Amino acid sequence: MDYDVVVIGAGNGGLTASATLARKGQKVLLLERHNIPGGCATSFCRGRFEFEVALHQLSGLGTPEKPGPLRMTLGSLGVMENLEFVEIQDLYSVYMPDGFTTCLKPDKNQTIAELKEKFPHEKEAIDNFFDLVYTYANDMIGAFIFRDPEPSRDKYPNLYRYALRNAKEVLDDYFKDPLLKTVISVYWGYLGVSTDQLSFAYLAMLLFQYIEFKPFHVKGGSQALSNAILNVFLTAGGRARFNCGAKRILVEDNQVIGVETDQGDTIETRYVVANISPMETYTNLVGKDLIPNNTLQEMNSRILSNSAFTMFIGFDCEPDELNIRESTNFLMASTDISRSLHDRMGRVDIQDELMVMSCYDISDPTFSPPGTCQINLVTLKYGDPWLTIPPGQYHEAKFRCAESMLKRTEKIFPNIRKHIEEIDIGTPLTHMRYLGHPAGAVYGFESRTKDSFFFQPGNRSPVDGLTFAGGWVGDQGFEPTLRSGVSAAKSILRQMNS
Amino acid sequence: MRKGIWQEFDGYKEIADEIELSFEAGKERSFDRQLADQYLGRLHPKELKLRVVDVIEETPSTKTLRLAPVDALLPPFLAGQYIPLFAEIDGIRTSRPYSISSQPKQTGFYDITVRRVPDGLVSNFLMDQVKVGDLLDSAGPQGNFNFNPLYHDRHMVCFAGGSGITPFMSMIREIVECGLDREVTLIYGNRHLDDVIFHPELESIAQRFDNITFIPVIEKPAKTYSGACGFINAALIQEVLGDMQDKTFFLCGPQGMYDFCLPELESLGVAKRKIRKEMYGPPVDICDYPGWPSGINPDKNFQVTILDGKTIPVNAGTPLLVSLEKEGIVPPSICRSGECSMCRVKVLSGKVFQPAGTPVRKSDTRFGYVHSCVSYPLEDLEIML
Ligand SMILES: Cc1cc2nc3c(=O)[nH]c(=O)nc-3n(C[C@H](O)[C@H](O)[C@H](O)COP(=O)(O)OP(=O)(O)OC[C@H]3O[C@@H](n4cnc5c(N)ncnc54)[C@H](O)[C@@H]3O)c2cc1C
Ligand SMILES: Cc1cc2nc3c(=O)[nH]c(=O)nc-3n(C[C@H](O)[C@H](O)[C@H](O)COP(=O)(O)OP(=O)(O)OC[C@H]3O[C@@H](n4cnc5c(N)ncnc54)[C@H](O)[C@@H]3O)c2cc1C
Ligand code: FES
Repeated sequence: MDYDVVVIGAGNGGLTASATLARKGQKVLLLERHNIPGGCATSFCRGRFEFEVALHQLSGLGTPEKPGPLRMTLGSLGVMENLEFVEIQDLYSVYMPDGFTTCLKPDKNQTIAELKEKFPHEKEAIDNFFDLVYTYANDMIGAFIFRDPEPSRDKYPNLYRYALRNAKEVLDDYFKDPLLKTVISVYWGYLGVSTDQLSFAYLAMLLFQYIEFKPFHVKGGSQALSNAILNVFLTAGGRARFNCGAKRILVEDNQVIGVETDQGDTIETRYVVANISPMETYTNLVGKDLIPNNTLQEMNSRILSNSAFTMFIGFDCEPDELNIRESTNFLMASTDISRSLHDRMGRVDIQDELMVMSCYDISDPTFSPPGTCQINLVTLKYGDPWLTIPPGQYHEAKFRCAESMLKRTEKIFPNIRKHIEEIDIGTPLTHMRYLGHPAGAVYGFESRTKDSFFFQPGNRSPVDGLTFAGGWVGDQGFEPTLRSGVSAAKSILRQMNS
Repeated sequence: MRKGIWQEFDGYKEIADEIELSFEAGKERSFDRQLADQYLGRLHPKELKLRVVDVIEETPSTKTLRLAPVDALLPPFLAGQYIPLFAEIDGIRTSRPYSISSQPKQTGFYDITVRRVPDGLVSNFLMDQVKVGDLLDSAGPQGNFNFNPLYHDRHMVCFAGGSGITPFMSMIREIVECGLDREVTLIYGNRHLDDVIFHPELESIAQRFDNITFIPVIEKPAKTYSGACGFINAALIQEVLGDMQDKTFFLCGPQGMYDFCLPELESLGVAKRKIRKEMYGPPVDICDYPGWPSGINPDKNFQVTILDGKTIPVNAGTPLLVSLEKEGIVPPSICRSGECSMCRVKVLSGKVFQPAGTPVRKSDTRFGYVHSCVSYPLEDLEIML
């Protein structure tokens, strides 16, 4: 046997799976198509800037005094000493076209107070809503995180009532003011489905997590995290091959026996961790004939999530000269939280969609070189429509969309254009190219209520020895995907011992 | 915990129905990958076969190779971008970037214009060996040295040195042939008058189009020459432009030109954000580069051991990437100027010299990664590819 385990893909899930296995003494080979680890969790340089690709707010880390699940995971991997995390001082700000703005803090009481000040007519509803979010989260933790052997409706009333409801219904129940509903639900942008299809559970858990464990960033950006995990893996004796994708997973009698790389060599192994989509894994790497029908049917029943259109902008001045005061800013065009918000993701052009603008230099003044700052400006877009643009018009479409995005941002921050020093643009096609995921999906499968936590198929596959890690088989986001790799590794270790 | 307690949750029935429905309505998506690959192959092909359909002698030391696609359409590009050309010369597999000098709306071919570099491996091969009908390997166009309509001024001031004219030629041709609403002032430095590439074409364009100004600058002119002489300096720039307002500056040429021109622009009060530079290959003589440790001779020999691989001889004055290629080890490379990070390798032990300002990610530096196309061994090394 060449290797005990081959890990395909060095995204968050692939990296933590590799590191966990190597630290447990397994002989592991990590294969990555690209020349650098991280997948989404990466950065690139332009001029004097190093642009962050994906990370806006790291969830679930918590402080050393009150550690969250992610801090424990990273701690047990031995990567904390190589990383410096920066607490982000704001939860998020919302900007409306009519000049309305509000800035929420990652503190329950401050957030409630700020909302009450802005929406005095909804005071009571605000209290009630946050009570619901907190009791729901506590129910969820009691039942699922601490794995209560005997959960019941009496013990966890809000879990039973709310776990399968959609967010919009709950918001409509609690609030009248459409602006307030918009402000409270902007985090749908981190999940990729608008509130009418989003499970209330996800919105509640996200708010709870960011408030209780605080949003964080990391010095050097998400690439620092990826590099630190890879370093632990290499130090533990792991081997990584970059610029080398997996072409086939070889299976005999329903058991993994090896991996063929796109450089043409074959590696013998009995275990594979796939940090890539089940579509790619089953249809292109294993071969559909070897996969039972119900697995394929389950896979086809899910909808591919959106991709993203991102502008990376470096400025030749500090954020305050641009009037940027907070790290995380949601720029909204209207108070519409209905289905049509979602439909807008299916157009190429950018007009009135949700946009997130992160300025990393606010919480970490060393992020960009002295006297400069950078923003990451992103909106969600499906990948498919981009495939209908004739290649000769691709650059034009890219600049046209970027111009609309910049115009909208300029309305709120009028000084930005005259301080631009570098710009790069990532389209859904850029994500297809660099991640290799179908339709450039950045959030795996769409997480509608029917696809939420309770109904996900998990990391096991019908092929013996093949296990998944990453956002395609669980929740998306840094914290869940980083933890998913550890789970995949543990699952393999269990299989080896049985 | 009991299995499937969520079946007791409110609303489970509806969700179960929805799941059942989605199983029936599910769509097979296995062709997605193929579609995306096909599309991306037209935009950013990993391999692009090109046939030399014409060779045009521009100056005694410069030729234009006209390259037509063999089995696909040419991918679109932005004026100013380059293609990597791959070649196997004397058993060494390597590549070099060449800016496309034809304009992007001309979709039938790419022109590249190559100047001979004394002792250069690929430029001499392209000048002397390549003939009409030959096939060359390339990949999709790359690079960020292009006009950006989002924030560049419509008046571009272009400083070219020697073969650094090529990206500007593409831009100028696009502007005049497509009637774009932009203005160019081109200041083009060369050692001798007969080194000026595209001289007749540039003069004729400047005569015919009000929005294009062409100022050749000759470093060592004949006594009778009446045009601008010497280097491109602040006085000349001031004289040509009047004021520096509402202009974006583009520089492309040898390192020496940047070292000289950038301070001149700064002295005229041009903000950094208004200046774009194309990186044009590794420094010609690394030992003259600021920060090179005194006492290390470029011929000094060291050994590089590759993790799980062989040990090879290298010398201090040769980029690590080039030494690897000489030994048949070919890490991917695109820009060969330190910019794109394709040639990134991890130094496990030993020291290299990498010019200050090479754009390496902070965490890459922290964990020992270097861009091998601009890294020079200062000791015996152990590296991971
Ligand atoms: C624009 C954007 C913004 C985001 N913002 C946030 C945020 O603020 N907070 C947050 O928590 N999350 C955020 N996310 C989500 C988060 O980045 C992802 O959920 C997470 O990084 C996904 O990790 P993964 O393990 O699924 O692997 P991925 O990152 O999907 O990586 C998969 C890897 O597999 C490689 N690969 C593919 N095919 C092959 C093959 N055949 N052989 C070998 N290798 C292969 C790919 O090159 C890639 O490296 C964001 C994502 C994006 C794109
Ligand atoms: C983005 C980009 C675009 C480019 N576009 C063009 C173009 O349009 N036309 C063109 O002719 N060249 C262009 N070049 C330069 C080209 O890629 C090669 O570097 C050049 O042809 C020399 O390659 P070589 O193999 O002949 O020399 P090498 O064997 O690589 O080098 C031999 C010696 O010459 C030095 N040297 C390398 N490059 C140069 C140079 N440009 N000037 C002086 N000395 C040099 C080396 O340091 C070495 O000492 C471009 C470079 C970059 C990075
Ligand atoms: S090849 Fe681009 S950095 Fe070395």
